[in-house]
Amino acid sequence: MKLLSHRVLLAFFWLTGFLTLASVGSLLIFLFVKGVPSLSLQLIFGGADPFRALLLRERVFDGLFPAIVGTTAVVVLSVSWAIPVGIAAGIYLAEFSGQNLKKIFNFSFDILAATPSIVIGLFGLTVAIFLHQHFSDRIYPCLLTSSVALAVLVLPYIVRTTQLSIDAVPHSMRAAGLSLGASKLQNLYHVLLPSSLSGILSGVILALGRAAEDTAVIMLTGVVATAGIPGSLLAKYEALPFYIYYISSQYTDQKELMTGFGAALILLTICASLFVAAHLLKNLLVHRLRKK
Amino acid sequence: MAEDNIKMAIKDLDVYYYERLVLKKVNMVFRNRELTAIVGPSGCGKSTLLMALTRLLDTVPHARVEGSVELRSNDQGWLNVFRLGETDLPSLRRRVGLIFQHPNVLNTSIFKNVAFPLRLLGLSRQEIDSNVRAALIDVFLWDEVRDRLDSPASELSGGQQQRLCLARTLVLQPEILLLDEPTSFLDEDLAGKIENLLIRLKEERTVVVVSHYNDQVLRLSDRVYRLAGNQQESN
Repeated sequence: MKLLSHRVLLAFFWLTGFLTLASVGSLLIFLFVKGVPSLSLQLIFGGADPFRALLLRERVFDGLFPAIVGTTAVVVLSVSWAIPVGIAAGIYLAEFSGQNLKKIFNFSFDILAATPSIVIGLFGLTVAIFLHQHFSDRIYPCLLTSSVALAVLVLPYIVRTTQLSIDAVPHSMRAAGLSLGASKLQNLYHVLLPSSLSGILSGVILALGRAAEDTAVIMLTGVVATAGIPGSLLAKYEALPFYIYYISSQYTDQKELMTGFGAALILLTICASLFVAAHLLKNLLVHRLRKK
Repeated sequence: MAEDNIKMAIKDLDVYYYERLVLKKVNMVFRNRELTAIVGPSGCGKSTLLMALTRLLDTVPHARVEGSVELRSNDQGWLNVFRLGETDLPSLRRRVGLIFQHPNVLNTSIFKNVAFPLRLLGLSRQEIDSNVRAALIDVFLWDEVRDRLDSPASELSGGQQQRLCLARTLVLQPEILLLDEPTSFLDEDLAGKIENLLIRLKEERTVVVVSHYNDQVLRLSDRVYRLAGNQQESN
């Protein structure tokens, strides 16, 4: 009986693992089958000369190039805002805050993580309007407001993974540094962070993916269908998730819909490239810190 | 023994985890140039006591202490360990070195594990090199690791890691050395060598050993405290 239940349980775990892999696999295959035929320089650069467009000497009107640049910019900017605040908050919660304060903060971050992105988008829009009315009439929903709103969206992921990674360092390791005369800050820098860096950077990678896929936030805070490459943080911009949403809801023929699949494949490639870059950075930093 | 020979005095020490009393009314004195043994069954709070003496219990959530632990300071006054501020704790832990029962090497090389406390003090590379070498020789580890000082410390065997941790504390030359089962991972031959090292160390400092080997305690110690249940039973 025991053996039977063990086997049934094992089969169930195997099946769930297989189903997860199968769903990811079928999604990728579907995307490749639909997206690859529409991939071309024409899709990315439209009628513009690719080389001149890359050097920003020619504007791309009917290609995805501005959306690719806009997506990369908004993702990198939002994670850049969120990383210092998120990691610092995570360190504070793990190492310095009292138990009661920790409970309040954790509850607040859990609520923030569970907040629908459209609500955060609305908040970003409200902030943009407030800034426009009270500070400068040059401020409208733009790349800056989008990236700040996205930073708020991904902040809980970075805070929680940082806190949990530091909390997960065994007490014996934590006590080792302190027992050798390290101050709390020295212990944090020399012992805790090197041991938890891998987990912290996994949170950053998770945040990258979350920022890249979100459409609701950017739709309300600065993205438009045609804007070209943003010239400043206060400019409007284009982004691939919005393009995919726009094309899939407004397409006029099959060919136009297929460009949406091409855009999805490009978005996936950008995310994968950012993941790989973040992984390489993670390995480099972990290696460096261990060598210190 | 004259009172001015006392290096550390524990008075009516109680330790709680949540509301559970795990150590009750512990009173002990550790004297200079003496080796004191603390014995007792597993779970009676021996390791907890050593953690309390170095204020490392502060890092354990929901642990609380009452009573006092006084350390004789260099100007012959007494320092209440429990009244020290956060910024004074590194200095306390350099003066009162603690070696844990289970080796807890840092995630770095053999050399850097021993050099770590010296780097925190800002010593020169040359001073660090010579101190690390001397400490590794003291714990009979130098010959085993001299050719692989840059290898990860985690690759060492349990016994080697235990000696590495001892070396790492010895480089600081603490006034009081607290050792929690220092020979538990060592074979008989090495255990004997470490015991001889402890006898040598007590000539110039205070040594406190937690042990459950009765013959070891009888061989080494000048004074024995026995903990039973959560209370001090005798000395």
